[in-house]
Amino acid sequence: MSTNQYEFLQEDCAQSLGDDFGKLRALRDTRLLVTGGTGFVGSWITETIAFLNDRHHFGIHLTLLSSHASEFSSRAPHLAARHDVSLIEGDVRNLAEVPSDTDWIIHAAGSPDSRVHFSTPVRTIETIVLGTHAVLTAASRLSSLQRVLCLSSGLVCGPQQWDSAPLTESTYFGLDCNHLANLYVESKRAAEMITVACRSQFGLPVLTARLFTFVGPYQLLDRPWAINNFLSEALRGGPIRVQGSGDTVRSYMYGSDMAYWLLRLLVDGKIGGAYNVGSPTGTSLKNLAAKVAEHTSSRPIIELNTLPSGNIPSTRWLPDVSLAHADCGLGIRIELDQAIRRTIAWHSRY
Amino acid sequence: MSKVLVSDPTLRDGNHAVEHKLRVEMIAAYAAAADAAHVPIVEVGHGNGLAASSMQVGESLVSDREMLTVARKNLPHSKLGIHVMPGFATIERDLKPALDIGVDVVRVACHCSEADITQRHIAYVRERGKQVFGVLMMSHMLEPGRLAEEAMKMETYGAEAIILMDSAGAFLPADIAKRVRTLVQTLHIPVGFHAHNNLGMAIANSIAALESGATIVDGTARGFGAGAGNAQLEVLVAVIERMGYDTGIDLYKLLDAADFAEREMIPVIPTIKSTSIVSGLAGVFSGFAKHVDRVSLQFHVDPRDVFFELGRRGIVAGQEDLIIEVAQELSLATPKEKAECL
Repeated sequence: MSTNQYEFLQEDCAQSLGDDFGKLRALRDTRLLVTGGTGFVGSWITETIAFLNDRHHFGIHLTLLSSHASEFSSRAPHLAARHDVSLIEGDVRNLAEVPSDTDWIIHAAGSPDSRVHFSTPVRTIETIVLGTHAVLTAASRLSSLQRVLCLSSGLVCGPQQWDSAPLTESTYFGLDCNHLANLYVESKRAAEMITVACRSQFGLPVLTARLFTFVGPYQLLDRPWAINNFLSEALRGGPIRVQGSGDTVRSYMYGSDMAYWLLRLLVDGKIGGAYNVGSPTGTSLKNLAAKVAEHTSSRPIIELNTLPSGNIPSTRWLPDVSLAHADCGLGIRIELDQAIRRTIAWHSRY
Repeated sequence: MSKVLVSDPTLRDGNHAVEHKLRVEMIAAYAAAADAAHVPIVEVGHGNGLAASSMQVGESLVSDREMLTVARKNLPHSKLGIHVMPGFATIERDLKPALDIGVDVVRVACHCSEADITQRHIAYVRERGKQVFGVLMMSHMLEPGRLAEEAMKMETYGAEAIILMDSAGAFLPADIAKRVRTLVQTLHIPVGFHAHNNLGMAIANSIAALESGATIVDGTARGFGAGAGNAQLEVLVAVIERMGYDTGIDLYKLLDAADFAEREMIPVIPTIKSTSIVSGLAGVFSGFAKHVDRVSLQFHVDPRDVFFELGRRGIVAGQEDLIIEVAQELSLATPKEKAECL
């Protein structure tokens, strides 16, 4: 099973990297640390590093720091067993040091799951804010450090207005910092400011990636997001239930594209920069549900407006990724239809 | 015309009023009558919900399985709802079989500050593709902002509506209006209200909730429910239809259902007894009334003193055993100590 899963995901990495793997040559024979390394982001980065090492002999050593490291062996045994991957079980809040020969760091720790945010708000803030401080403090002691890429969220821009243009890195709509609903976003904003302060005061080579919405293998289907619900319902035979009218607009980037973007930003993004990471192509949830249904063998029906009463307002959340394109030439390699097809196939098989 | 979703827990909350002794033929006949009246959701079960039948809170005459099976059979159009408290109902043993019988709507309830305990139950119902509401009981015990935070948890867990329960019948219209407004502003899902009539405010509070943005209200036939009873369903529907809300309910047939309930199911029409007024003022769960009356008699204490002391201690549903402790302590207390309790 592991070999098949490995081959399946390596095909995705091959498509996302294409002939551009050479642009990651700065990573050859270096050591990369990923915090939060066993989640969706960390798993896809590990797949991509495996691709670079196995197909192109990059010789990268990857260290994954995670508070759930022991679970990784059962979830992704083909990755956990690799000789070029080390697992460290630890909580980023208490991080005192990282392997001294680390060259690169991607700081991905911190769950985007709103259930976690509202159930354990203090821990959420600690993980994001204190965790970022701990990682950057540890990074500042590394003699061979090349760069640190800190992962933030596109939500730091605030709620996008329905009729506004896609969100650039400098867009800001304002948030109420005295409301629990904004806990995650305000924590991410504080964490971003910590990176700015560490770059300014310690000269730390750090930059930020702001993540939007994603789809793909390794994403848990019980997460409280529309596409996860649609996939989960479709895989159970449906119906696919859309809470509102289905006019809400989101965009979805596939996991292997995301991993390639993050590695390229780590290597080629501007120090001190903040880059949106996501697909610029929006789709309505109605259309998304139709695509999920179309690519599911049971062809589930779609129900709109499933809330018991009232209306749910439609929202729009789309990134402008022209900065990532201009600075690093990044674009989408796996389009939404293929992304959904691949995700359904992976969940059906594995 | 604004649509309002009406949920009818006569066959669940009413069970409190008869010590959980509703009979199968009553459940069958009332469910059929409510269905004929186009009541959208008919909630059925032990007063405290699924799997609550126990020595502590009272044993049901009819098993959950039998109640739900007969209700399902008699609800060809209306949705069958259940009240589920994670402390009583487990997923595998209780919730799964209930959904297998054909429950359409699960209302997962907890004390208003403990939404965390509902996550697994809510997620399971969503996974089964059924409708799930989060219910925050004793909602007078939290101020609006904190209540909204608990409701947000339920929304992220997958709840498709949040129902605020005035379990103690303690609200005045302004109290519920503030809470509903805050929830409506905070959440993306509908908000509902379940009233109790301890202070005679059940209909007024339900209207205040609707006028503040709620779109779901509960009511029971003749107000048949715990303590002083609930919002009287047939009055509630008549009033809000007159106000311009659309419930989709056939009023004549609903009146027939209420007449049937009075004739065949309700031994004593709920009235606002002195203890109910006191429980409302003390902010104590309406379902405690029968227990308090019985225990007070046993220990020769004034049930009003018991209610105020329970309120002072912040007792919530599920802590019925403390009624005995309070009554016993009051029976041993000196007149001066009793006065201090008040």
